[in-house]
Amino acid sequence: MLEVQDLWAGYDDVAVVRGVSLRVADGEAIAVLGPNGAGKTTLFRSLVGLVRPKKGSVRFEGRPLHGLRPHEVVRQGVAYVAAERELFPQLTVLENLELGAYARPEGARQRLEMVFELFPRLAERRGQRAGTLSGGEQQMLAIARALMAQPKLLLLDEPSTGLAPRLVAELYRRLETLRRQGVTILLAEQQVGAALGLCSRVYVLKDGGVAFEGEAAELRGSAQLRMAYLGGT
Amino acid sequence: MGVVLDGLVLGLQLALLSVGVVFVYGLGGVLNLAHGQVAVAGGLVAALLLQAKVNPVLSGLGGVLAAGLVALLLDRTLLQPAYRRRGEERLLLALILTLGTSFALDGFFTFRYPNVALSLRLPAPSVEVAGITVRTASLAVGALSLVTFGLLLVFLKGTRLGKAIRCIIQNEAGAWLCGVDVDRARTVTLFLSGVLAGVAALGQGFFSYLGPDMGPEFTILALIVAVVGGVRSLTGTFLASLLLGMVNAALSYWVGTYLTWIALLAVAVATLLVRPEGLLAYWP
Amino acid sequence: MSVPWTRQVAPVVAVAAVLAAVPLVVGDSPYQMRIATLMLVLACYAVAFNLLFGHTNQLFLCVGALASLGGYLSVILVRDLKLASPAALGLATVAAAATGGFLSYVSVRRGFGVLFVGIVTLAVSLIVHNLLLGLRDLTNGETGIVTRGLGMGLGDHPLRAYYVLLAVVVASLAAYRWLFGSRHGAALHALSEDEVSAELSGIDVTRYKVACATGASALVGLVGALYADLNGFISPSVYAVGHVDIPVLVALLLGGMRTLLGPVVGAALFSVVDELVRPFGQLTVLAYGVLLVALFLLFRQGVVPVVQSALGRRVSALRAPSSRTAAKEEVAGGTEAGR
Repeated sequence: MLEVQDLWAGYDDVAVVRGVSLRVADGEAIAVLGPNGAGKTTLFRSLVGLVRPKKGSVRFEGRPLHGLRPHEVVRQGVAYVAAERELFPQLTVLENLELGAYARPEGARQRLEMVFELFPRLAERRGQRAGTLSGGEQQMLAIARALMAQPKLLLLDEPSTGLAPRLVAELYRRLETLRRQGVTILLAEQQVGAALGLCSRVYVLKDGGVAFEGEAAELRGSAQLRMAYLGGT
Repeated sequence: MGVVLDGLVLGLQLALLSVGVVFVYGLGGVLNLAHGQVAVAGGLVAALLLQAKVNPVLSGLGGVLAAGLVALLLDRTLLQPAYRRRGEERLLLALILTLGTSFALDGFFTFRYPNVALSLRLPAPSVEVAGITVRTASLAVGALSLVTFGLLLVFLKGTRLGKAIRCIIQNEAGAWLCGVDVDRARTVTLFLSGVLAGVAALGQGFFSYLGPDMGPEFTILALIVAVVGGVRSLTGTFLASLLLGMVNAALSYWVGTYLTWIALLAVAVATLLVRPEGLLAYWP
Repeated sequence: MSVPWTRQVAPVVAVAAVLAAVPLVVGDSPYQMRIATLMLVLACYAVAFNLLFGHTNQLFLCVGALASLGGYLSVILVRDLKLASPAALGLATVAAAATGGFLSYVSVRRGFGVLFVGIVTLAVSLIVHNLLLGLRDLTNGETGIVTRGLGMGLGDHPLRAYYVLLAVVVASLAAYRWLFGSRHGAALHALSEDEVSAELSGIDVTRYKVACATGASALVGLVGALYADLNGFISPSVYAVGHVDIPVLVALLLGGMRTLLGPVVGAALFSVVDELVRPFGQLTVLAYGVLLVALFLLFRQGVVPVVQSALGRRVSALRAPSSRTAAKEEVAGGTEAGR
């Protein structure tokens, strides 16, 4: 479904992502792991068009994604939940969600209900301003909003940041539900444990390049490998 | 009192100008220093159409449309190099480019149409409403402004694009991620800011007259009011416009022109010093 | 910066020499002498603005207002309080310096951003302008004041006026060179890059900004007063934003911000363009606009840096690689091998 070939991307003259290639098949859940500064966020931003890649290609369902503006990427069926969440603080939960369906207004009502089922806490707070939500609720809102675009591929950048362990577990349960409903997931994480639980394959980024690529089970099983590539956890 | 009404109407005029500034800053991260000239362009076109014996209503519409188109043209041509940059660089480049453009337009207007001025005369200078003597100009301009703002509100709250514009002001990246074409929205916004400026020009024509050299005055007023109101806040700017409009009207009723200007500016500066949440944040 | 002091002083001396020779060429034409003198006035304003905006990010759109403070105050002090002209000049300069310093202090303490300062100072400029227009008993309003006999008589001696202004230009350039050659130079560079980091490195950003603003405002006030003298006449419009601040901005952008000679080169270019464009009559303003846009799109940094890098490249091509960093340092520090 998603094919990234030899992608180079960065800011001004600095290349942060250096020749990354990865593949995500339909229905998979893939994790991109690695330390801070490895290039995970830049990679995701370049997939979505917030950063223009310098070299390489990104193909989604066979069609080129690189070079598209972010709103076109969304319309292709790829939704992105940024680490900073990028919510609209003055708008209510409901309004934020409705805006998530901007690219695909048909069927928004049903999607809204589905999203409220998935995240009942958001349903309770639908009239509340997004800026006043707690960290965990904001994270859920960000994901819910991305789902409102009815994506085939969901990109999540460090979704567990700032969440208590109990919330992280809850979050990953939801993601598993989504995956079983047919949403392909590509996520970047620092909290390796939960990610390894959800995802079948992993890529480990280091200094802008792919240092390791393999089954999650491999990493899960070998403390040595984890140590070598992720430095613990 | 007639003065209060005058003040409110003047406030609405200021709002027309400054809300446009807020839009453009909120969506494009730029300040258009040629904003006043956009208004003047609209006024001149309306005046020229009137001279050509075109129906007054159509002339007015023509002027307003022309102003919008000038702003649109600016966006599509001159501001593109600025849009390619981010943050402070974008702002500064846009400032210089629009400053140069304002000179060019000013020079062009005063050279080509030195004697053209928009002056809209109404059948009677004043009218008695509920026992108060009211200037018909105030009524006309007030009505015009309110209708314009009403339409704007409908657009912002009712249409898809309008909602998109409101959310871009709050978070541009978030808007992209929701599938909003921010670039297109930005262009539309510039067009709208031009239209609003055009209506303000018409208003000026009702009150006294709009000359080809009034561009800088409009721009400065718009900027100051927008900053006092909070350059990212539409409601704040609207309120600031009304406030400063009232101050202006009240003062010009009692004291001379210079003192009015001084007091107005002093109020603006004082407000800024006390509440800099008109503080300008850099576009992220 | 371990560049020998002769190197540092050379450009200033060169400029002084060239400018000192100008009257030899145009001395016969009073009109051209006046243009040359006005160019020096603009250059001084530009040096000040360079320090304000170029180096400390303080967009003071009130240069005209500060100059008017200097001009009007010096004239009024002589006219009404019968002060001797030099004393009046001194007081006017101090007043301008204090005002500029005050504006800077308030802005820095309240943490105002660049654009905010720009708009506030613009408002202040307009207030001052309207005050000058309104306080007719004191200032004669729009009619202005004839300043003959209220100054040092520069208005009657164009040559003397020119050299006095030249002395001010050279002195300010020398001061600039000294400032940036000293340890303060490094602090100012750091400050203009990133104020927060500079503060965290132990640089007292407030003190530097206010000090620069005060010094720059003193220069502006002094020149404003000298202008009042040599022009023979002052009025509010003479010091208006359109007549002072805009040309200063254009001149500095033309010449190159944050360089030693940018203000002078820019002022010279501006004056030349001003003259070339004069026959256009009404279209002057239009020509300016087009020029500004074109120049900024082509020469983003201004003439001086473009020339510098062109020369620097040629010079470093002749040298061994190890001295290329020294060449880069020179370019960055504002010294150059030529003009």
